[in-house]
Amino acid sequence: MWEYVTERADLVAFQAFQHVSLVVQCVLLGSLIGVAVAVLVYRSPKATALANGASAVGLTIPAFALLGVLLTPFGFGITPAVIAVTFYAALPVLRNAVVGLAGVDRSLVESARGIGMSRMRTLLRVELPLAWPVVLAGVRVSTQMVMGIAAIAAYVLGPGLGGFIFSGLSRLGGANAVNSTLTGTIAIVLLALVLDLLLVLAGRLTTSRGIRV
Amino acid sequence: MSEATSAPPAGTVGSGDRHISGVAIRLDGVTKRYPGQDHPAVDDVTLEIAAGETVMFVGPSGCGKTTLLKMLNRLIEPSSGRIHLGDEDVTDQDADQLRRRIGYVIQAGGLFPHMTVATNIGMVPRMLKWDKQRIAERVDELLDLVGLDPAVYRDRYPRELSGGQQQRVGVARALAADPPVLLMDEPFGAVDPITRQRLQDELLRIQEELGKTIVFVTHDFDEAVKLGDKIVVFDVGARVVQYDTPERILAEPAEDYVADFVGAGATLKQLTLTRVGDVDLMQVTTATVGSDSAQVVAAAQAAGDGFVVVLDRRGRPISWPTVAELARTTTVPDTVDERLPVVGLRSTLNDALDTMLAASQGGVVVTSRRGGLAGVMAVETVMAAIQRTRTEVAG
Amino acid sequence: MTAATELHPEDAPQEVPPEETARQADPSAAGDGGWRALLLQPTLLALGVAAFLVWRVTAALSETERRQLGWTVLGNSIREHLALTAAAAVIVLLIAVPLGIALTRRPLRRLSPLVIGIANTGQAAPAIGLFVLLAMWLGFGFGTTVVALVVYAALPVLRNTMVGLQGVDARLVEAGRGMGMSALSVLLRVEIPLAVPVLLAGVRTALVLLVGTATLATFIDGGGLGVLINTGITLSLDSLLISGAVLVALLALAVDWLGRVVEHVARPRGL
Repeated sequence: MWEYVTERADLVAFQAFQHVSLVVQCVLLGSLIGVAVAVLVYRSPKATALANGASAVGLTIPAFALLGVLLTPFGFGITPAVIAVTFYAALPVLRNAVVGLAGVDRSLVESARGIGMSRMRTLLRVELPLAWPVVLAGVRVSTQMVMGIAAIAAYVLGPGLGGFIFSGLSRLGGANAVNSTLTGTIAIVLLALVLDLLLVLAGRLTTSRGIRV
Repeated sequence: MSEATSAPPAGTVGSGDRHISGVAIRLDGVTKRYPGQDHPAVDDVTLEIAAGETVMFVGPSGCGKTTLLKMLNRLIEPSSGRIHLGDEDVTDQDADQLRRRIGYVIQAGGLFPHMTVATNIGMVPRMLKWDKQRIAERVDELLDLVGLDPAVYRDRYPRELSGGQQQRVGVARALAADPPVLLMDEPFGAVDPITRQRLQDELLRIQEELGKTIVFVTHDFDEAVKLGDKIVVFDVGARVVQYDTPERILAEPAEDYVADFVGAGATLKQLTLTRVGDVDLMQVTTATVGSDSAQVVAAAQAAGDGFVVVLDRRGRPISWPTVAELARTTTVPDTVDERLPVVGLRSTLNDALDTMLAASQGGVVVTSRRGGLAGVMAVETVMAAIQRTRTEVAG
Repeated sequence: MTAATELHPEDAPQEVPPEETARQADPSAAGDGGWRALLLQPTLLALGVAAFLVWRVTAALSETERRQLGWTVLGNSIREHLALTAAAAVIVLLIAVPLGIALTRRPLRRLSPLVIGIANTGQAAPAIGLFVLLAMWLGFGFGTTVVALVVYAALPVLRNTMVGLQGVDARLVEAGRGMGMSALSVLLRVEIPLAVPVLLAGVRTALVLLVGTATLATFIDGGGLGVLINTGITLSLDSLLISGAVLVALLALAVDWLGRVVEHVARPRGL
């Protein structure tokens, strides 16, 4: 297998880059959407319940099914992959952001308003920083989950390491079928772990020392 | 408690008028060593606790007092030494069987949140295979004993109770199978001071009735003085620094260490040694709810009282209106004064003073064992007691 | 697939409410709210099923489509899908729950970080890779699919079993032991009942995961509704593709709802 990888180092590196690039961009976009929606809903119990319900229902939809449905309007290629991956990335972040923001001590918010901070400023300087560890936990969950979903996206001709898995499947019994699938799978596991480690590191660096555990 | 009298457990000692259902506890060179620690957590403790006594374990945190307590019911296994309950060496007995004979109360009661009050209390009797009828009767009897109405509280879940009520149920659960020994691990640590004082009074009353052997861990020296027949002061490694009555520990601390631990203001500590029942109480005019106000007013004026204590139909004090207030009514009202300051006969003068200060009143109503009126104590009585001890110390 | 490594904030052991405020809590009010939320999901579900049926009866379909979407074929696909899910779920429960209990007992407690670490790493593996590799090793078909599903869905149940048990207040365990309950009795009467809400949430997560992941069975001849989606994609028949996707989503929602109902009913009273 090592031989298989070294022979195709360029291709593996390229696909790995494509995979990570797809995941990172979609997680970023999804996180922004998730946090934005959370900010809009967390003050209203009804809207919060609605958002949580939507997030829970969204997460029950199988990835393969969603990818299939997206093929109809968008055809094969990168668009359905990006939409599906972003969709799944946004949901855990949304839920954790709601939990995190709702968990901020109301008296802190009041005291921030009390010393003359605007709503926006309170949100940016007090609430989001305090909710950040919980939001980040959501981002980690998203990233892990989406690494696997991106592999399925290869079936609808999205970019990334999933290609190795499916080409192994299609050349079943062939010389390099197992090697190809193994390469794709192991590379995804390794990259997922590396990304998770980076996120933990980012958490250490971006969480206020006062609330670090 | 009927079981206790019909079959007195081994080691029961009669002492005068007090009924005792507890057994003596003897610790013989009990030691607990944890691997990887230089000094034993409990180092060679030999201690004898008489049947029916309440013994308080006090000492700084980490001194090993809780470890020692938990070795009594073998939640922590001793590394060496023997433990006797009555005449029985229980060191090697089956731990589960042993624990069913020892009541155990912890902070906040340790009630199982998914079981009703009745199920919680009935736990040990069920393990002892009592029949249902007997368990149900026992549950009601115990709820009554700890001052909770069985009809109201039997089927509640712990979260539907206040902290103080949970603690009462915790005590009831520990007493369920009528164990001769009760171990209490800082049971009243998590409740507010007023509730704590009530619970302490309650425990004193229950203990007077039952005469268990109680071992009670606390970090509150006032609590130790109030509740204990004896106090054990521990230092690190559960070294017994002094083991004596509260009076003698306060009067003659064995070492500077004890004096430091007892703390400054020992004069005022004497307030914790004097019980409300030890001083003269004022007798005042009383009135039962619904009786004719004019008659009561007349009686009070004849006795020269400025106020009247109103009793409910079960004889428990519920308010103390002034004569002028009462004169404005036709019959004695049944309004319950939530802020009525009440202490029991076994409360300390310290408790009484606290209660008065908390209620901003110049006196307290004193109740007897089952909640009936025993009299009224004025703040002057407490002041006189302080004055007396100050003179004694000065002289 | 979808809810794979989800960290359910709602699954975290609930803080014990502060004692003095706890008494006003009216359990019946909360219960009613819970039921109302539980009724919304089946309503949506019923609407979804109705919409699908109306479409299926009224749509103009080609010969191939009609054959693939025939009632018996659809019924068989759904039955296969459910069989995969159920078989895997039963095996997951039989393995993960006892393992989770064992790993929280004193003798094995030291191993639990190791096991959780391995399981978490395994969870980072893409399901599709796992399916294909296992099929290359064990052959194609139903059995292999179930094995792959079990490997994939065991973690949420294992983790929630452990989290649930670890979340039980240590003082309650001590109170139980202190009053003379045996270790087994404390486990059965105190720890497991109190861990049930978290444990069941893990089971529900696993079930939803199984329904979704079972669509991948089509790639290794395991059957199920994934076949419909896959045929739709390869033959460019949108009607098949969307039918499969919608049916799987509805199935996942139905299973999720069932899970919630069970959680609601099995939640010990008094919590």
